[in-house]
Amino acid sequence: MNGELLFLTVLGGIFISLFGIFFGLLFKGIDRKIVARMQMRVGPPIRQPFLDVVKLMNKETVLPENAVPWMYHLAPIVCLVSSAILLLYIPIPGLEAIQLSMHGDVILVLYLFILSALAMVAGGFASASPFATVGAQREMVTMMSYEFPLAVVIIGIVWKLWNLSTPTTKNTAFFTLSFLSSKPILSHTYLLGFIGALILLFALIVVIPGEVAKIPFDVAEAETEIAHGLLVEYSGRNLALFYLADGVRMFAMASLVVALFFPYNISKYIALGNFAVVADFLFFLFKVFLVMLFSITLVRAGMARLRITQVVSVYWITITLIALIGLVLLIWDGDPKLDILNIPLPWTEV
Amino acid sequence: MIESVEIYWNPLVWLIAFIVIAIVAYIIRAFGKKEHKKGEQAKPFLSGVEEPSKEAVHVRGGNVYWGFVEALKGYYGAMKKMHSGRVNDYVAWFVVIASILFVVLFALEAIL
Repeated sequence: MNGELLFLTVLGGIFISLFGIFFGLLFKGIDRKIVARMQMRVGPPIRQPFLDVVKLMNKETVLPENAVPWMYHLAPIVCLVSSAILLLYIPIPGLEAIQLSMHGDVILVLYLFILSALAMVAGGFASASPFATVGAQREMVTMMSYEFPLAVVIIGIVWKLWNLSTPTTKNTAFFTLSFLSSKPILSHTYLLGFIGALILLFALIVVIPGEVAKIPFDVAEAETEIAHGLLVEYSGRNLALFYLADGVRMFAMASLVVALFFPYNISKYIALGNFAVVADFLFFLFKVFLVMLFSITLVRAGMARLRITQVVSVYWITITLIALIGLVLLIWDGDPKLDILNIPLPWTEV
Repeated sequence: MIESVEIYWNPLVWLIAFIVIAIVAYIIRAFGKKEHKKGEQAKPFLSGVEEPSKEAVHVRGGNVYWGFVEALKGYYGAMKKMHSGRVNDYVAWFVVIASILFVVLFALEAIL
């Protein structure tokens, strides 16, 4: 490892964590405002999540009886770190210079999502509280459920793009998100594959609320049932860190969808001169907002919470089958024998 | 963009980034209030109900995946029935599955 890489990693780590926290809280505020308006309420101001963090920082950090202190205190830090570090690997226009997109691939990103969920589980079990234990147990089951369709989506996209690569580019790190972003899946398929990619996108959109523990898949927290579940015993600065991690995780998950399916930059289509970088960055934020709006905000405003058994059925049976259909269509796409449609789209780049 | 290398992930870079962000998180945490009162508020919250003994509320290893097993109980029920413990049954399953696989493989080869 050279000095420049070390410097960029340190700089990137500091910047991206502050960046993720700021935009995570900002989008959280927007999400709350939109949900409130949809329910005919005025809702909190958009800056409310920032005020919530300040408030939590001024509250006592209670350590429950029988808790495992070191794990109880460490879990929120690990959760926030593993959420923030995700943003170093997911390409963000304008921040490429300090990102590590070529030093970690999409499989690492999947594991980091698991790590942050596991930190919450560990914190829940470490609380030694009946509600927290039930919440931690549910979080683990939810995690086991959505990982399979998520993996099918990722593998489907990677396989298709790898298959399209020429022998010279097959040696490159095609699992990295910067490679996947450079070849948008929706622009590299015929009609059959395009339908398959849209099906995979739908599966991923359904996985998002489970991944970030939002309605209808928030059984692990379920405020009205088990009083916030695995976070029930957390308070003060520890709860503030979980709160920050939640915002960062939401932002990272939406960014992953953008990187996989909509990595288009506006500067490619409109001549913007010196403003190209700023415009691409703002356009990226807009895309992240749209993904969060359709996968989290609208869903949680319009649905009720599922039971844990329904969560498992939805992910393991319904969404996995849907994702597998999308995968099969992507595999058949462009194949001389199997692609029965074989219709290129106006925007197909092969 | 940081120089391109043909690896799937670089653990050293990841570890350094992890430590750096952990320090940032620790600093943020340090801004919070440290002291707290002990006593009543340190008891586990259970909606005002007296907490049962630890043994009574302990989730055993076999029950950790309850939601998962319950949702897929049709599958698990069938699997339990298959696991009769008799070697004759296992060998019979092996022969049946192997023969089906051969038929499928030959059929696929003929089609493709």
